[in-house]
Amino acid sequence: MRLSRRMLIVLSLIGLVSGALLMSVNMFTKDRIASNRKKEIEKAVIKVIPGTKSSLKIYEEKDFTVYKGRDDQGNVLGIAINTAAGGFQDRIFYIFGLDTQLTRINSLFVLDQKETPGLGAKIASAEAFLQFWEGRDVKQPLVLRKPAVKKDALAQNEVNTVTGATISSRAILASVNVALEKIKKLKQEGRFSIEGSDGD
Amino acid sequence: MATRTNWEEFSKGLWLDNPVSRQLLGMCSTLAITNAVINGIAMGLAVGFVMICSSFLVSLIRKFIPNQVRIASYIVIIASFVTIADRFLAAYFPPLSKALGPYVPLIVVNCIILGRAEAFASKNTVGRSLIDALGMSVGYIVALLILSSVREILGSGTILGYGVMGDWFEPWIIMILPPGAFIALGILIAIAFQIERKVKQRS
Repeated sequence: MRLSRRMLIVLSLIGLVSGALLMSVNMFTKDRIASNRKKEIEKAVIKVIPGTKSSLKIYEEKDFTVYKGRDDQGNVLGIAINTAAGGFQDRIFYIFGLDTQLTRINSLFVLDQKETPGLGAKIASAEAFLQFWEGRDVKQPLVLRKPAVKKDALAQNEVNTVTGATISSRAILASVNVALEKIKKLKQEGRFSIEGSDGD
Repeated sequence: MATRTNWEEFSKGLWLDNPVSRQLLGMCSTLAITNAVINGIAMGLAVGFVMICSSFLVSLIRKFIPNQVRIASYIVIIASFVTIADRFLAAYFPPLSKALGPYVPLIVVNCIILGRAEAFASKNTVGRSLIDALGMSVGYIVALLILSSVREILGSGTILGYGVMGDWFEPWIIMILPPGAFIALGILIAIAFQIERKVKQRS
């Protein structure tokens, strides 16, 4: 009886002290961690909507977040979609910017990926992949060009495949097409507003 | 055991009982995160921090912990320090925290730390446990540094992100992939054993 009581007391004490310690550490670091995450997104939005000074979240569901970017005067310059594709190894998190009419992709950036280094990981490189996304026309679905050709030879809705990384390239392309369809549908249903300076 | 000098207590972690090359403990994280030197340093420091803090605390309260619940107590203590290290990295070094991914929380089950708590800190004074943990941490960091340098130089042609190989060098991508980890670790252990044998033969 004495032993079991001692076991209880010692373990509870250790647990209590640990809990208190972790609570204070969490209080101390939580704001910073949240602001790190926000900053990362903010930076990405500025990257994919040229000229953005401030961004605002206008729609959110699981793995699909929409931001709008505005300049100094509060004019909306475009929207950015942050979503994920099912890659070769793991999910590929990326963000891309559209104009306000949802007809053109400004650019696309990969935020986080774990594809094979040297092959699939090239989808995060501007030279091998991302440059082909600039200025794509998205009035119709995008298609992959395989084998890759010179940038000028691509049609307005074509993107080059990364050589040796067809699966990773295809994953992003398919996911972008899905995201485009979704955003157009959401816009038709009036689920978010692009214009106006609602709720800062 | 009590006849060991402080220096012997410290230095056994560097070579004779090195956690990576001799005890072969904590292999999972060792293999996984040594693909770049910066990851090796961050992981080494995180493990070192947790090991030193938990060894200190375990040896401090070793007489109060009933034998039957000692492992549970160690795990709670270790988990607390791991969470602190994890939060700290996420708050102040977000890119590192991202690169190390789940391997920081997994330090909780890293055998090196639980091993030191059970085999050493629970039986020795606070001072000796600190010296032991310090030695083990340095030994672990050095091993990670060697492994990650070899893998980063061969696998990416860089060290800490700076190019050190000329343009002629074609990176051996396999070295930053999991097989490269096994190859590099195997060779490192073989070299360590060979040196040990030579030293023994001579004496």
